[in-house]
Amino acid sequence: MNQQLTRSQRLSRLDVKASPYLYISPFFILFFIVGLFPLVYTAWVSVHDWHLIGGQGEMVGLTNYIDVLQHPNFFKALRNTFSIFLLSSVPQVLAAIVIAYLLDTNLRAKTFWRMGVLLPYVVAPVAVSLIFAKIFADQSGLVNAVLEILGTSPIGWHADPFAAHVAIATMVNFRWTGYNALIFLAAMQAIPREIYEAAIIDGANRWRTFFSVTVPMLRPTIIFVVITSTIGGLQIFDEPRMFDTLGQGGADRQWMTLTMYIYELGWGAQKSFGRAAAVSWLLFLIIIAVGVINFLITRSIASSSSGKAGR
Amino acid sequence: MRAAIRNLAAVACVGALLTACSSGNGTTPDASQSGAASADPNEKVTLTVATFNEFGYEELFEEYMADNPNVTIEARKAATSNEARDNMNTRLAAGSGLADIEAIEIDWLTELMQYPDKFVDLADPELDGRWLEWKSDAVTTEDGKVIGYGTDIGPEAICYRADLFEKAGFPTDREEVADLLEGDWDTYFNVGKDFVAKSGGVAWFDSASATFQGMVNQVENPFENSDGTPIPLSENDEIKAIYDDIATAATDDNLSAGLAQWSEDWTNAFQTDKFATMLCPGWMLGVIEGNAQGVEGWDIANVFPGGGGNWGGSYLTVPEQGANHEQAKKLAAWLTAPEQQIKAFQAKGTFPSQVEALEDPALLDQTNAFFNDAPTGQILAERAKAIEVAPFKGPNYFALAQLVTDALNRLDVEGTDDAAGSWDKALEAYNALGLS
Amino acid sequence: MSTQMSTPMIEQLAGKGAARAARRKLHGVDKRPGWLTYGALAAVVLISFYPIWFTILLASSNAGEIARNPIPSLIPAGEFLTNVTRVIESDIKFWTALANSIIVSTVTAISVVFFSTLAGYSFAKLRFRGSNGLLVFVIATMAVPTQLSIVPLFILMSELDWVGKLQAVIVPGMVTAFGVFWMTQYLREALPFELIEAARVDGASMIRTFWSVAMPAARPAAAMLALFTFVGSWTNFFWPFIILGSANPTLPVALQLLQASYFKDYSLIMAGVVVATLPLVILFAVAGRQLVAGIMQGAVKG
Repeated sequence: MNQQLTRSQRLSRLDVKASPYLYISPFFILFFIVGLFPLVYTAWVSVHDWHLIGGQGEMVGLTNYIDVLQHPNFFKALRNTFSIFLLSSVPQVLAAIVIAYLLDTNLRAKTFWRMGVLLPYVVAPVAVSLIFAKIFADQSGLVNAVLEILGTSPIGWHADPFAAHVAIATMVNFRWTGYNALIFLAAMQAIPREIYEAAIIDGANRWRTFFSVTVPMLRPTIIFVVITSTIGGLQIFDEPRMFDTLGQGGADRQWMTLTMYIYELGWGAQKSFGRAAAVSWLLFLIIIAVGVINFLITRSIASSSSGKAGR
Repeated sequence: MRAAIRNLAAVACVGALLTACSSGNGTTPDASQSGAASADPNEKVTLTVATFNEFGYEELFEEYMADNPNVTIEARKAATSNEARDNMNTRLAAGSGLADIEAIEIDWLTELMQYPDKFVDLADPELDGRWLEWKSDAVTTEDGKVIGYGTDIGPEAICYRADLFEKAGFPTDREEVADLLEGDWDTYFNVGKDFVAKSGGVAWFDSASATFQGMVNQVENPFENSDGTPIPLSENDEIKAIYDDIATAATDDNLSAGLAQWSEDWTNAFQTDKFATMLCPGWMLGVIEGNAQGVEGWDIANVFPGGGGNWGGSYLTVPEQGANHEQAKKLAAWLTAPEQQIKAFQAKGTFPSQVEALEDPALLDQTNAFFNDAPTGQILAERAKAIEVAPFKGPNYFALAQLVTDALNRLDVEGTDDAAGSWDKALEAYNALGLS
Repeated sequence: MSTQMSTPMIEQLAGKGAARAARRKLHGVDKRPGWLTYGALAAVVLISFYPIWFTILLASSNAGEIARNPIPSLIPAGEFLTNVTRVIESDIKFWTALANSIIVSTVTAISVVFFSTLAGYSFAKLRFRGSNGLLVFVIATMAVPTQLSIVPLFILMSELDWVGKLQAVIVPGMVTAFGVFWMTQYLREALPFELIEAARVDGASMIRTFWSVAMPAARPAAAMLALFTFVGSWTNFFWPFIILGSANPTLPVALQLLQASYFKDYSLIMAGVVVATLPLVILFAVAGRQLVAGIMQGAVKG
């Protein structure tokens, strides 16, 4: 049969085929203008001997990368970054889901509770750093004062690497847990009530509904939060920088993260733009690798729990 | 729902329009490639001046604009010197956007002096001898190019707690204290040992690394040779000796309160009698007063171990990027004249670096009520004149100084290493820097 | 959970008694939560609110008091209005900064929500070649550290002659990878294919379908994204500082100038923080109501 398409049908076909690309193009256009140029620029800088003020030197290939990987500070920064990342992201995501679940109930004054948990996100950094400085100061801080009253010895928050990581992770969790909770909440609100009703009629209690109904339906959101937390967590910069007034990450680099190291290499005493760019690209690769791993882990966990529910 | 979305879209369009129209303030003048001098000195010109912290220039700008009606001055400000530095470095790296006059701090000079071609030569025989020699030497290249005009300096004296001195049986009158501490660093530390034995728990000074700063600023070539090559840390006997001195004094003799300056612990320590003396540049007086509210007994003595020391200080530069070199140079010269600096001093307390200003009665008559009505202007002026040595600071000065500061902080503040172990880590870090 | 039974259906199939039993059980779904839930949430909100309270405490005090008492009492002193007045009257271009911040944050938020929903809808529900790869690319762009991109971005703004102008802050933020990713994941979950099919069958064009089906479905997530984007833009300091400076500042840049002295007067600085945070808190109250799932619930029956 020879079907001749009418003009409107042809337009419709074009509409269907072209629209997706049209709809995603604003992001890509903007990215090519303001995102791609810095990326290419940084890559170009990383293979040169480049002083921030002096400008472009000669092309040195992978020398910057090799130099950077031989410097112990890189590995200290790596250790610190992963430690702070795990101490912050893991409790944060778990707490966020639980808080979201609590917020998803039929509370009185819903707006108050929901917006209340988001308050930490809006507190200005100068206030956050001052408050946490008063809490975690080594000699005159609140936590150490309480520890003394309880009889135990004070903790060197700015001396011991792990203690510093815990303190910084606390600052990070404080800021972002409510944020992630609201992301989960928005997704939970989209779960149709009938599914809950059916589950309850079938005899499931709160825990069962949580694990067998909520979590599987939240799978795309869980993946989203895990990936964005991973990407953000490995790039933590503001909180460790605010942890003391020098912003270096400790005399022994106890809490210097990789992004702080980039900043120090590029803007600090050395002003080696080339080496800073090399660390940027190494960090990028690390984030991609860890992101993929986390994605695969999350996907398999989320599918296995939905498999159990037999949907 | 649809109406709401239509309204939102309307708001967005209005917003975009407003954005396009509200760009009025703060457009930078076109950065033309060559800063050609305008042939007509009365041609209308807008000069941007970028400062940070508190230079005290607000009224001076008004005065200059009144005297020179063709000139409009636009002030740009950053809160801290670190922010100003990041801003300046970005614009230097990008090649455009710098103000006509950029204020810099003495600490930035080490790298900026490596790139003197980024700045206009401000050499002017009429201005010879205006500033203290060590101040103007620091901005003069080997070829005689001058890249900045000095504004303020930070001459140091010793601030002390007369009340804690009294409890330990020490003299409290500032002239007696000056006699007591007259001498070099050994004198300072020995008196400190004596004090600590009698003070019942009060330390002598606040921070080992801050005291180290004062000591290192009196060494002619602390970390580098005069040709700019670094002295390997393992061969740097002079610095090692200083490190040993301060490490012993701080921890073995318990002279240090183990605080990191500007930290929460340090700020609170002013209220809890943690230490009795500290190295005190002019700008620190306001900080002490603020932190030590309600504490009575602070005073300042006209003495400094080794004679004199300087901490901080700024310059005005004219970047090559700007479009109005001649006018900017003229304004910078005017702002840094002794008369104007005195006015800035009266406005914000910035201590003048100009020789004539150091003789000005407005400066010499100044007293400070919080510091027991001490004649601070006179004391600091005399300390400024007592400065003999300006240490050589080459391209790697700060990276190298940081190694030793880190070592002292590990020992003194964080307590993670002992003196020998911390020095070893500094040697390792030196090797890792990969300098010659 | 293979069937979705509502109580009327149960009544039809199994009689009134069974329906009554089901309704009794169903009371559990929408019943008010118990003390444990409120208690836990109260603890969370208290911890969240503490820093703001602390800030208000410091803003109600003065520099001398703060120096004398490092850990302030829990009750504010009386100088709050004095300090706020000092903030507004300082030489920091406060009103310009406020206006700039409102413009920048509003335009950015609207733009991000619109473009992210558009792109998210495409990635989530439209089939097109390369969609998976392109989505991965979008996510990967978030992984690039931004500490160094200040310099090339500045160069770009310089070329466009946008240094010191608001568009230099707005345009780089008009559509974000985070927003695209978020709307993609949300729409995957919250927008059933059936609704789109229904609209297509009714003859709607692609854009019509987007406008009348996807956008309403996205409302809770869009509200959330708008809120997050607004707050993020409102509190952003470093890039506006570099590109706008004190001449044409946004609010954080202007308020930072309150710290321009060797001795920091925290009563003044914290008053500035309160002033900057207040508009956001007001916005919360307004936007919070939007975080309710829309018309999608119950729209599709088995």
